[in-house]
Amino acid sequence: MSTARWAGATALGAGIAGVVAAPYVLPSYVVSLLTLVFIAALLAGSVNLLAGLAGLVSIGHAGIAAAGAYGVAWATVHGLGLPAALGVAAALTLAVSVVYALTTMRTTGIVFLMITLALGITVFGLALKLSSITGGQNGLTGIRRPAVVGEWWQFYFFTAAVYGVCLLALAALSRSPFGLLLRGIRESESRMTSLGYSVTAVKFVAILVSGVFAGCAGVLLAWNSEFMSPSAASFSRSALAVVMVIVGGTGTLLGPLAGAGIVVAAEYWLSSYVERWPTVLGVVLIAVVLYAPRGIVGGLEDLAGQRLHRPRKEGS
Amino acid sequence: MSVDELLLQALNGLSFGALLFVLASGFTLVFGLMHIVNLAHGAFYLVGGYVGIITVTATGSFPAGIVAGVATAAVIGLASERLLLRRVRGKELPEVLLTVGIALVVGDACLAAFGGNPRSTPVPPVLSESVRLGSITYPTYRLFVLSLAVALGVLLYVIQHRTRLGALIRAGVDDREIAESLGIDVPRVFTATFVFGAALAGLAGVVAAGLLTLRPGADTDILLFALVVVVVGGLGSLQGAAVGSVLIGLVDAFSKALVPELSYFAVFAPMAIVLMFRPSGLFGRSGT
Repeated sequence: MSTARWAGATALGAGIAGVVAAPYVLPSYVVSLLTLVFIAALLAGSVNLLAGLAGLVSIGHAGIAAAGAYGVAWATVHGLGLPAALGVAAALTLAVSVVYALTTMRTTGIVFLMITLALGITVFGLALKLSSITGGQNGLTGIRRPAVVGEWWQFYFFTAAVYGVCLLALAALSRSPFGLLLRGIRESESRMTSLGYSVTAVKFVAILVSGVFAGCAGVLLAWNSEFMSPSAASFSRSALAVVMVIVGGTGTLLGPLAGAGIVVAAEYWLSSYVERWPTVLGVVLIAVVLYAPRGIVGGLEDLAGQRLHRPRKEGS
Repeated sequence: MSVDELLLQALNGLSFGALLFVLASGFTLVFGLMHIVNLAHGAFYLVGGYVGIITVTATGSFPAGIVAGVATAAVIGLASERLLLRRVRGKELPEVLLTVGIALVVGDACLAAFGGNPRSTPVPPVLSESVRLGSITYPTYRLFVLSLAVALGVLLYVIQHRTRLGALIRAGVDDREIAESLGIDVPRVFTATFVFGAALAGLAGVVAAGLLTLRPGADTDILLFALVVVVVGGLGSLQGAAVGSVLIGLVDAFSKALVPELSYFAVFAPMAIVLMFRPSGLFGRSGT
């Protein structure tokens, strides 16, 4: 094994050990924050799948997550069992993802970003206005997560496990032929078209796949707070996911996790000192775009690459 | 729906469309020249509107409110372009992400400065009455907004096609490099356009404050409308913004009257339909 692989394996082992040990050594509020980090990282990961591989930055993904969350919340409130509730969540997530995919699959770059933003605001508006279904501004209360994961520490392990599985899936996707297709599209759509691929169809599928991860994050979100309100679909939630991806490093596997950790921690600690949280968020976004465009994990990768005298990794 | 009601909703739609045109024309001009999707446009609208309200309340003068709102939005636009956007010029994604950052900061500053309660402008007495149009009476203010938008549209068209400034802007749109090699100071034209776009957002905000209420979140609401209008009309096209505004204004008015719960979806639907059949919008150039 090379030094890099040893280092990687050691870090992975330490990471898993840390995640498992956390509830036994850390205060419960920190563990709850970690739960939030994993949920946020999953949503950020779904944004990163499109942004990192295909170069499609969605600033409306909270809308897809909210679809999953409202699905499970509505079904639970209406007395449906767990399988049925998950079915409703899956169906709603898929339906909303299909709308996202159909409206954006022929666009790229900033137009993609614009339309996903419009979609996100539309979902937010619908959640607010369809009060007979969503409870409007008051939201849906009385959502209970399944009894198996009822305790905070049980839910922490469950969330961590879901995130772990999704992370493996994301890693596999990134290395798969499909991931290569998406990279090809990012580099040159016309080249991929002339190679015989249907760029539109590939994007359609990619948006659906990304939507599945976002929907999972949504279900976890609803279960975590046991409450659902339109703010989960708001512009700032979608922007937050993009900030996490950019802060962590677009196109890196662990970037969204690092970004989510920093943003959730900052939100928690800063919000008790400064009232102006969105300002902090905006300033962080501006600073990262101007001074650290590759993000934290991206920057570390560059650094590691230089240390080991390897050729610089392909930029994202 | 009776004929009167139909006429009323049509006028409501047209006057809201007029407001959307004031808003979207600035948005689309900036995109047309600079290829920047300014997602802070809604925040500029909000800050312009709030400053307008404060000024009108303090001075009792509506024109003073317009001047103050427009000037504030223009100054924030100038600062955003000079201090931030200029540093990532030509990189589409960093540019648009910077405008997201600006939108968050300006929106939050509005909440801090003007509070969370809905506010609107006291409309000047001349405009607060109603006029009889056949069998219905209609608020003068809405007709004022309508004529303002028409005047603005004519002005923008004349500027773009009949003046030196318009020629500079069109040159910058068509071929930046050639324009620069001909000695045109393109960065300065860029700054001027961005500031002008921000000023239009501020104008829309002040005018809107007499029509709608301003509150936290109104910036993203109106941004949705601006996005939909320019996506439907075609990014960067002034005619597109005009047609898109009228269309979306009418759709919004009638959907709110007929199916209020689905009004958001009704605004979104035309955009989805246009995107499926004409991804570059009704008047958009393909390939941009």
